[in-house]
Amino acid sequence: MAERLGDIVVGIALAVIVIVIVLAFTAPGLLIAGILPREDIRNLAKNFLIYAVNWQRKEFWVSSPEVVTSGVWDYRGLDTLFETAVFYLAIIGATSVFRLLETKIHRKKPGELGLSIIAKVGARIMAVLIIVASISIAVHGHLTPGGGFQGGSAFAVAPLVLIAAFSRVLLDKLGFTKEKMLGTRVVGLLVIALVALIPISLGGFVMQNQLKLWSIFTGYPTGILEPFLWISGSLFFYNIAEFLAVGAGFTILFILLSLPEELYRKDLEGGGTSG
Amino acid sequence: MIEYIHEILLAFSLTMALIATYLVIKSRDLIKAVVFSAIQSIAYSLAYYLLAAPDIVLAYLAVGVGIYSILLLYAISKTERYEEVEKRG
Repeated sequence: MAERLGDIVVGIALAVIVIVIVLAFTAPGLLIAGILPREDIRNLAKNFLIYAVNWQRKEFWVSSPEVVTSGVWDYRGLDTLFETAVFYLAIIGATSVFRLLETKIHRKKPGELGLSIIAKVGARIMAVLIIVASISIAVHGHLTPGGGFQGGSAFAVAPLVLIAAFSRVLLDKLGFTKEKMLGTRVVGLLVIALVALIPISLGGFVMQNQLKLWSIFTGYPTGILEPFLWISGSLFFYNIAEFLAVGAGFTILFILLSLPEELYRKDLEGGGTSG
Repeated sequence: MIEYIHEILLAFSLTMALIATYLVIKSRDLIKAVVFSAIQSIAYSLAYYLLAAPDIVLAYLAVGVGIYSILLLYAISKTERYEEVEKRG
């Protein structure tokens, strides 16, 4: 009896929470409750929307119609730079916890491992689709919703699917080794650092994207052969580099996690291939 | 009715999320709990989409359904699948 009463209480509480959340997050709900955002805060959002791509007021613009990416890599660019640094350190932590020099496993043919043939064919199709979709998310993240982190984390699901369906031997064969992924990640981070620092050497400020009235640097080009290929200045490069860094970082994590435990045991006992 | 379709869908997805969360907490089978948590992520990403935040949806789906679930499955593979039922006094 007491348990049933508890279930009823939980049910009512859940219903109340749902109603409160819906009221809190929707405009009609806010009107009913009489708590709309403050007028001056709404103006801030309006300014971002107005100035992100504004041909009349180019001193404030980002030249990107995607206001979220504009905020992430231009208006609040330094935040994202430090976020990337945090992710970089997290992956360094993971690789130092799982420190093995040799991460390749030499075993039977990959065909003998993994799930059934149906799952394998499905995984193959899905992996290709995921990779293509993630590249498209990253490459025009400055024009449509998306961007470097979103593309990178979507990309990381592809090796995950392959590990689940085929075992990680296939990943080694395809060239997704830990060393290559570390290299890709370093390239991505170097590109981010370069794109952020080049404006300083040309008389601008760190992470400058477009021309500002108070700096000498005239800004990155808004497009190659305008108006055919719109790249929104530095946003395009940041997105590609972040895609490489995040995608490779997550892939390293999955490669390390999918290593069998015996390898670590052997390493601990000193009989492994690493020192 | 049709002008409130956003709110109705939002209420639906958030209710699904809450039910999934409740099942995550209640279920003794940890693998099932991970699957319910992935369902909760899907419901949340639908809510984010309805709240006009497609950027969040893209990252949330990949992290919430793919990466987070796999990390938890890895952790569960190192321990037991079934949670012990404790006797209530």
